[in-house]
Amino acid sequence: MKCLSTLAHSRLALRAAAAIMLIVGLLGVCFLHLAVHFRAESEKDIQQTRLEGLVSTVERTAQIACFLEDTQLASEVTQGLLSNRIVRRASLSRNDGSLLADHITNSDHSSGTPLTRQIASPFEPDRTVCQLTLVPDQDWIDGQINEATRFLSVALLLQLLCIGLSVILVVFYFVTRPISDISQKLHALEAETGQKLATPGGHRRDEIGRLVTSVNTMIDRLVNSLSEERRQRLAREVEERRYRTLFDNVEVGIFELDDQGRLLSANPAFCRLFMAGEPFDIKAQPRVFTTLISEGGPTLRELTTRRARRDSVREWEMAVGKGDQRRWVNVMVSRLEEGRLQGVAHDITERRRAAEAAEKLAVTDPLTGLGNRLGFERRLSVIERYHRLHPDHRHALMMLDFDHFKQINDAHGHHAGDEVLRQIADILRAISRQHDFSARLGGDEFVVLLDHRTPRDDLAVIAQGLINSINQPLTLQNGQQVRLGISIGIAILGSDTRDVQTLVQLADKAMYRAKREGRNTLRFHDRHLAFDI
Amino acid sequence: MTRVMRIILFTLLLSAAAARADIAIVINSDSDVQQINRSEAINIFMGRYRKLPDGSVALPIDQTPLRARFYRSLVNKEMAEINSYWARLVFSGQSSPPQQAASTIELVDIITHNTNALGYIDSDQVPASMRVLMTLRE
Repeated sequence: MKCLSTLAHSRLALRAAAAIMLIVGLLGVCFLHLAVHFRAESEKDIQQTRLEGLVSTVERTAQIACFLEDTQLASEVTQGLLSNRIVRRASLSRNDGSLLADHITNSDHSSGTPLTRQIASPFEPDRTVCQLTLVPDQDWIDGQINEATRFLSVALLLQLLCIGLSVILVVFYFVTRPISDISQKLHALEAETGQKLATPGGHRRDEIGRLVTSVNTMIDRLVNSLSEERRQRLAREVEERRYRTLFDNVEVGIFELDDQGRLLSANPAFCRLFMAGEPFDIKAQPRVFTTLISEGGPTLRELTTRRARRDSVREWEMAVGKGDQRRWVNVMVSRLEEGRLQGVAHDITERRRAAEAAEKLAVTDPLTGLGNRLGFERRLSVIERYHRLHPDHRHALMMLDFDHFKQINDAHGHHAGDEVLRQIADILRAISRQHDFSARLGGDEFVVLLDHRTPRDDLAVIAQGLINSINQPLTLQNGQQVRLGISIGIAILGSDTRDVQTLVQLADKAMYRAKREGRNTLRFHDRHLAFDI
Repeated sequence: MTRVMRIILFTLLLSAAAARADIAIVINSDSDVQQINRSEAINIFMGRYRKLPDGSVALPIDQTPLRARFYRSLVNKEMAEINSYWARLVFSGQSSPPQQAASTIELVDIITHNTNALGYIDSDQVPASMRVLMTLRE
């Protein structure tokens, strides 16, 4: 039963047939009922009319028989009536109820409603002479009715059956068969190969044909959009591979950040630059970009503020790592989309080192490794700026001049002179503290810029220490020993002057005064003496 | 011409009808029966009962010349119907048509000689020896 119901649900033809048969059956039952009812009624009427007709036929004879009370004639009439099978019993009775003639059939059929007719005198229509009673044979009448209705039922049923079958055939032929055809073909269709559905024969112009056309159009569109999509996907994959190769192999660090400055992705070059080659793990706790920087670069706030993010491209230089491992990186960050930043990092360590080396070369005396005149002047300008910011900090300048240095050159040659200069530089380096700066301005002219935290008394101690060191005999490479004297002039920025150029002059003058006043000694600038010279 | 003839014929027929008298059912004046009603007349002449109201036997007599008029008056039937009626009863033999008198004279003769006989006659020709039992108006 369940199987049948499943089958009916899956087969349009079966369902349609079932529905049609049901409707035809219901209609058939109704029509049959009505038709049988009306046929039975009309058959009853026919039988009634027939009875009446029988009575009318024999009425004249019955009138005469009754009029004359002729039992023989009356009996003739009743017997004649009985020869009709519809009549079960026929009787003629006088007005007083006594029977003139009475005949009944032998059969044991049941009786119907009796039909009584008053029989008038043949000569006086107003005078009733007797009454004729006909008892119909109900079984026979029923039989007649049944026969009539049976024929009708069979005819009607056959007709309905034929109509139902015809409708089913028509529906099957014109609707369900083409549809199931199409469905099967559609199932087996390989649309990717550009196959099309064929229209079932004879349906080219009707709804089925249009359905097939629509399906074909849809297949076309689907195939087109599928191949277009495939093409685009391939193009995207190539693009993606190209980008991935670039991303993985380029020497430039590429990375993405979210709006909290956390790393979303990073390529191997970035990992080499910022994470000591440790590969980027997307599943690990995300690392904040700014924590990877050891010096320079933006703060997290600078990196992620809304206003900053609106700028098209921002650039920073920053240092990563410590000591010998320190690298300098140039980072450009641009906004990729809302809440997403993209950055490019270039390793600029070599360039920066080269620049630093060039800078250092420019301000260094090649012979002694101390600062040269350019270096000294730059240092002076730095101090000048510094002094302007902190007027109470007092930097001291020592101007050095070696006594009889020319004689060494003359006596031992330039090589010896150069060696002496290098040894002097070593001495200066030895007494210099971290923030002191020594430079050779040219020939045997040396200066020392001293840290501002040095008190005046200490300056004198340092200067005297220097004189003592210089006075020690210096041993040249060829074993010869030379002795040097030194005159030192000291001027202090802040107490003696506020101008660095004047400071140099004042120190120079103090140095000459030391030279004049006996050599191998030190002199502070003395403002009372300054104008005497 | 034809129209004139027709009118004349119609007038003659009318005057003849007007001239004809009613039909009287008569019996020998010796009979005790004074009169009968129409039903009794029908019963006697159509053979239902052959008895007079007083119980004596009735002998109905037909008069051939008046027969058609009489039955038309009495039961409103034509002779063909009356003949057919009697023909039907010949087989059962239970009843028979009235005795036939060929003329008024023969009728008068029969009635005069038989007190139970009764017949019919033009009402203006009833002899003194007969009693009118009923007059049928035409």
